[in-house]
Amino acid sequence: MADGTARTDGAAEPVDLSRRVFLRGAGGAAAGGVLAPALLGAAAGGCAAGATAGAGAATSAALAAPPGADPAGRELVGEVEIELAINGTRQKLVVEPRTTLLDALRTRLEPPLTGTKSVCERGNCGACTVLVDGEPRYACLQLACDLRGRAITTVEGLGSPEKLSVLQQEFVAQDGSMCGFCTPGFVVAITACLQRDPRASEQEIRRACAGNLCRCGTHPQVFAAALAAGRRLAEGQR
Amino acid sequence: MKLEPRAVPLQDAPPKRKVKTTQVVNGIETEVEIEVEDVPAGQWPPRASLRVLNHDIPRVDGPVKVSGAARYTHDVRVPGMVWARLLLSPLPRARVAALDLEAARAVPGVVHVLVVEREETGWLGQPVAVVAAETLEAAGDGLRALAARFEPLPWVVDHAAAVREGAPAVGRGANVGRPETDGDEARARAALSASATRVRATYTVPVQHHASLETHGVVVDYRGGEDAVVYCSTQYAQGFAAEAAKELGLKAGNVRGVVEHMGGGFGSKFGLDAQGLYACRIAKELKRPVHLMLDRRAEFLMSGNRSGTSMTIEAGCDAQGSLTGLVAEAWKHGGLGRGSLSGLPYCYKAGAHFRDVRSVRMHLDASRAMRAPGHPQASFGMESILDELAYAAGLDLVEIRRRNAAHPAWVRQLDRVAREIGWDQHPHRTQPGKPDREECIGIGFGISNWGSGGSSDCEAEVRIEKDGSVVVACAAQDLGTGTRMYMAAIAAEEFGLPVAAVTARLGDSRLPTGVASGGSVTTPSVAPAVKDACTRARGAFAAHLAQVLGRSAEGFRFGPDGVRHDGMTERLAWSKACGTLPAEGLSARGKWQESLQTRGVRCTQAAQVAVDPGTGRVRVLHMVCLQEVGLALNRLAVKSQIQGGMIQALGYALGEGRQLDSALGLQLNASFEEYKIPHALEIPRMTTLIDDDDTRNGVAGVGEPPAIPGASAIANAVHNACGARVRELPITPDKVLLALGKVV
Repeated sequence: MADGTARTDGAAEPVDLSRRVFLRGAGGAAAGGVLAPALLGAAAGGCAAGATAGAGAATSAALAAPPGADPAGRELVGEVEIELAINGTRQKLVVEPRTTLLDALRTRLEPPLTGTKSVCERGNCGACTVLVDGEPRYACLQLACDLRGRAITTVEGLGSPEKLSVLQQEFVAQDGSMCGFCTPGFVVAITACLQRDPRASEQEIRRACAGNLCRCGTHPQVFAAALAAGRRLAEGQR
Repeated sequence: MKLEPRAVPLQDAPPKRKVKTTQVVNGIETEVEIEVEDVPAGQWPPRASLRVLNHDIPRVDGPVKVSGAARYTHDVRVPGMVWARLLLSPLPRARVAALDLEAARAVPGVVHVLVVEREETGWLGQPVAVVAAETLEAAGDGLRALAARFEPLPWVVDHAAAVREGAPAVGRGANVGRPETDGDEARARAALSASATRVRATYTVPVQHHASLETHGVVVDYRGGEDAVVYCSTQYAQGFAAEAAKELGLKAGNVRGVVEHMGGGFGSKFGLDAQGLYACRIAKELKRPVHLMLDRRAEFLMSGNRSGTSMTIEAGCDAQGSLTGLVAEAWKHGGLGRGSLSGLPYCYKAGAHFRDVRSVRMHLDASRAMRAPGHPQASFGMESILDELAYAAGLDLVEIRRRNAAHPAWVRQLDRVAREIGWDQHPHRTQPGKPDREECIGIGFGISNWGSGGSSDCEAEVRIEKDGSVVVACAAQDLGTGTRMYMAAIAAEEFGLPVAAVTARLGDSRLPTGVASGGSVTTPSVAPAVKDACTRARGAFAAHLAQVLGRSAEGFRFGPDGVRHDGMTERLAWSKACGTLPAEGLSARGKWQESLQTRGVRCTQAAQVAVDPGTGRVRVLHMVCLQEVGLALNRLAVKSQIQGGMIQALGYALGEGRQLDSALGLQLNASFEEYKIPHALEIPRMTTLIDDDDTRNGVAGVGEPPAIPGASAIANAVHNACGARVRELPITPDKVLLALGKVV
């Protein structure tokens, strides 16, 4: 493991890893895809090459000079150990500055939390929706090391197959999943909506999950499940 | 002692008997007395006697899917696994000018660099190299370190450029394929000349992406030695294991293929694919497991698509609206592939017809099967020209379909669907409306069909354990259609058990022979095999009980109240009956049976839209579908699947379509940001009806037909609303305004 001099043990010395600083450390690796439009071809992931990689690299280079150091002169490359509060448990994990929460959950936890799905890696699809301090967030657009001290809830934290949440129960009852790959994201997004207001209207529910894509076309059943769960929650059922 | 499965002897006229059972009435479980007959092997029980099947059944894998516990190929983690990522050709055709392999190998964490194309690429997105590393991030660093340089070579990525004289050749042979013709051209043209009304127009549909949320990919668990397990996001669990064995240099039987859950395929996921072969090669080299899933951009560029089509159709009808003749000339756009286009006049009788279809090849990813391959394209052309013909002749849009539909089922479906969408109250039944208000309402129709039969190779096994548990198994995979659920439900029905008492196992190449899940064949293949296995298991169980209890084997009945015998007053609880089994329990294998499935599924849809002629914006307000399904195993899942097809068609109508820049050789929308599939705010009111007038008591596949006519119905509704005839999908606002003459 490379020695990350930005290593921070515990929350005593929070490091502000803003996107700009992050870009320096990461060399625009992941964020190049987010910032550079697809027109330039530098999509998130490993397909950028040749002409297209050049365009992506130019974008990040412009933002990233001088590379490799934050204003305090600390190196922001390599790996650091951080502690995250995930589903009510504090967990230590080793990440790079550029590691997204999505990749941290899926590839750097032991055992990994794979309920949060990786579909687009650029905030287009909602499949990686998690709650950060109760608010729905795309895990692919969050840096893991930015989230120290925040309460992260993944779909696994909402219920287990043996003890489903009310919304999860209604997803099953109303056939709210087909292939199921988008389902965790919908469940988390609508959970946040119903936590705000269990009496949310269908239109409000639609808005709450308008950022979630489903290819099988489960939407009508998802709306039905959300409305049914909202009714039960409003009546105080569990 | 192991009990050998035995077939149940056939009976001539099974006696009818009254039994008490529970049925769901208005959503409430109710005890009712019904008359049933004990049916011989090879037939489903009469629908009225079904206790579990043909009802709404929640999926048995629902709880793991909604809680994130379901393990997809993406989610597989095995000890020592490395992460691999692909470098793709950024241009449709290029010389690979530079790849810095040393730099890539020097990146910390990178463990292997595999070059798969050293010289020249021939299609946009073609894999060039693979980098494997200890972490996903390091694999990405390795790709960048390759600093690949490509020198452009002449390419063609659009129709006009591909057919031009002197165009760069796409592979070997001409860019335009040989004509596939059908019908008698002279007769068809003569019939057209004699028609009372005739119209001619060109219709174009774009390339549509499958856009499965789980991308293609594999995890190859090979750590040296003679065995491997390969996890693959695929529609054919048994298909890829043999391919992987070959690539790994192992015996076919030593490689197990697993797909527990898969995140959508829609026709694009058969076999191991290029990335699967690369993963095997790297695993073999490293003797370490390899995780290689495509990223989203690669998924758009290299995992297949529904071919585009441009078709010029001329059709004529007599004064009453009967089609007299049809001539079609079409070009398929399937990249390096041939593309697909169903026959025209599609689901209609057209008198004399002729068609000439050619594929136009380009330096692009080859098309693959996609949900009802060739049908939505043909449907769009046919339903569009039918409306144009009806308007030209002043005929009712439903009447012209009733008159020309090739099967009477569509006539009855059209009547019902027209009623549901409010056709009789609609003002524009023979002429389109005018763009004279802020919100113009229109209605359109479309019909479709699909073969839907099963595969005779399919087998299943049922095990009944001494503790009363039941396991039903088949190697087929569950694409999200509910295969697991109906496997369990069939056994529950047969043995009189709750669905939860049965475990269904699937998606494993070591289980009894399954089927490739394409073309709606899974259910009509798997369900008959499971039913047959259950019938045989019942026979074997009855024979066992006959010995134990000294009764005749023929008299045993398995129901929700336990096991009974005609000559006995008392019942035997299921668990007690199973307790009499030998330690190893009982098992039976079943085979697919023709008589348990049915073929030919017809579907009719209508769409109601609102068009704003000021902005060109189209909103779909209501979609109605009525579809034959044969015997619905699970009405809940069947309706879900039908709705899903309709929603995909909505995307095809209004948002989807590959966008390319011909000069730059780029796909402009290889992400979910720019490639627009329907989202929550666009979902209309949906009326999804199972056609219970279809009384065939066999199982049919239902997935393809609902994905076909919706786009045609929406396009027709847009025209019907305000007179904007958009002949090219997707119907974006600019095209509506263009059709209305508001922009030029």
